[in-house]
Amino acid sequence: MKKVLALILALAMVFALAACGGSGSNSGAASGGKTKVTLWATGSDNVRQIFETLTADFNSKNDQYEVELQFMLSGTGTQTLADMLTAASQAGQTNTDYDIVDFSGDDWSKVTSLIGAEQFVKLDAAKMPNAANVAAKSSVAPDYCQPYRGTTVILAYDSEKVPTPPATVDELVEWMKANPGRFAYNAPGTGGAGDSCARSFVYNFLPEEAFTSDDEKWVAEWDKGFDFLKEIHPYMYKSGGAVVYPAKNQGTLDLLNQGEIDMCPNWADMVLSQRAAGQIKDTIKITQIQPSFTGSLQTLAIPTFGSHEDGAYAFMNYMLSADAQEIMVKQMAAIPLIDVTGMDMTGYEDLNDLDVSSFRIQSIGGLSTQFNERWDNEIATIG
Amino acid sequence: MSKKAKQMLVAYGLVIPAFAVVMLTVAYPILAAVIKSFQDPKTGEFTWANYSYFFTDPIQLKNLLYTLYVVVLTVVIAIVVAYLLALYLRFTKSKIAKTIGTLYLLPRFVPAMCAVYAMITIIRDSGLINRLGLLFGKDIHLGMMYHASGIITMNLWFNIPFAALMITAGLGAIPDSIIEGARDVGAGKFKTFTSMILPLSVKDVVVASTFVFMSNVGSFTTPYLMGGNSPKMLGIALFDQFNKYLAYNRSAALSVIMFLICSVSAFVYIYSNLKEKEWEK
Repeated sequence: MKKVLALILALAMVFALAACGGSGSNSGAASGGKTKVTLWATGSDNVRQIFETLTADFNSKNDQYEVELQFMLSGTGTQTLADMLTAASQAGQTNTDYDIVDFSGDDWSKVTSLIGAEQFVKLDAAKMPNAANVAAKSSVAPDYCQPYRGTTVILAYDSEKVPTPPATVDELVEWMKANPGRFAYNAPGTGGAGDSCARSFVYNFLPEEAFTSDDEKWVAEWDKGFDFLKEIHPYMYKSGGAVVYPAKNQGTLDLLNQGEIDMCPNWADMVLSQRAAGQIKDTIKITQIQPSFTGSLQTLAIPTFGSHEDGAYAFMNYMLSADAQEIMVKQMAAIPLIDVTGMDMTGYEDLNDLDVSSFRIQSIGGLSTQFNERWDNEIATIG
Repeated sequence: MSKKAKQMLVAYGLVIPAFAVVMLTVAYPILAAVIKSFQDPKTGEFTWANYSYFFTDPIQLKNLLYTLYVVVLTVVIAIVVAYLLALYLRFTKSKIAKTIGTLYLLPRFVPAMCAVYAMITIIRDSGLINRLGLLFGKDIHLGMMYHASGIITMNLWFNIPFAALMITAGLGAIPDSIIEGARDVGAGKFKTFTSMILPLSVKDVVVASTFVFMSNVGSFTTPYLMGGNSPKMLGIALFDQFNKYLAYNRSAALSVIMFLICSVSAFVYIYSNLKEKEWEK
């Protein structure tokens, strides 16, 4: 017994030592010769994977800087990246290792509303020549953050059953009425596609500025939109004799793939990457309707309290290069923000038709809670 | 220090870690939730509003009744089927019975998530049954997805093996001699069952029912993936209150309500155990 224990302990020590050795040599490489630049990002695991690929690619090509990724998985209940940046800024820290930060549209609005865009470096286009090719602009503080990829909710449809998809919301409603039970959106609060669909249908009746405001006054104007949701309700997908809004984005995509419905709103990247992997039918295509569903731009920004501004610019410039954009298209079906001619878009041709310069942004902040509750009480209960 | 005191110290020392963990992770959160359930979300003052909401709001009331409907139906069907299965396994000595006796436990080893998705691919309107029907020119739409019937079917998959396991153990404890004794004095099969086997196994049936009942009141995965939008089972309604509407005081109240519903069946369980003890005296 003792011998076994000793053996286990010895093995454990060997592993521990090996682990130490591994990390030790890593940091050695970073400090030797190249300047270490720290990149901070947050999101789902696919975001971590793409950043690992991109930083590895950057590090192999650039001989001046070594980018190290600090990734925080979203939804794990730890302090968010936005909170950490706010704290660092408000504590007046300088020369931190927040060299370059990746922001979703929502996070960027949140951080700038808390600490102001001036806490970030006003971007100098001369230091990142590739930025000249990018048409898309952030809706909030565009001079301080650089968009590098987009994602949006689109209308996914089975091209075998619907040869010419609707181009406007009115045409979509006409189609729903002519083909009852063949459209579905997932219940708001269970996935971003359903949120985007229900919200844009409601906010189509409001002035465009309302969609990026969390002002309580807009709540009173939701009635028309909710009447619209009630009007289209009877034409939605049915199961067991009642209308059903499936849970999760994947819920509607499964129905589409199984042929139980012909159309549903979904994320462009989700549909395309699953189609490329052969998980859903080849005949499923994507299109955008007018007024469009909502999307967002992913951006990079350089905090003034970071340490390596030039390194950050170098990485930003790399992210807007054709190589990096192609990696993002292939690995996560991201919508590229630069001209795609010359890029290999096999399997992702649908992305070419999406107009990235006119993304419709939504950020209704805390109103989303009220929105979901009202939807649950008024729409889900119709049956 | 006397030897006895030392022994006492050791005994408490052994118990304290477990006791502390239970206090910190079970007793304290329960207490905190109960207190929260009586507080107004804004002022923090005492109120019954969080509770009355779930019994006066028509949507929430429907959720509650729907949950009871699904759970009671699950319990009744699961127990009847499990009892018949257990009887068969106890009193039939064939190879088939032996095989079934081994196989019926299999569902317990399939992860819940896999089982739910497997069931969905079979019963959905475009699923296996629909496709088999199409081979014979019939377009079958079961309509079980997003419907109570689907949830109940899935619950049965999880609970029949569990209930059968408990009841089989109970039936196994009935000695053959009792049955032979009944036969000797001229009792028929039916009489043997009603006057011997049923009374001797009824306690196991009650215990199995309470367990099935409790485990289904708060179920989440199955109704989340297979249930409709309204009415919802309480597990989903709780998720909505907590995660979607951020109504923490109402969430606490709903948790307490679910706890009370479960404690009814826990009371039945404890009562039937106590009764047994009296009978043994």
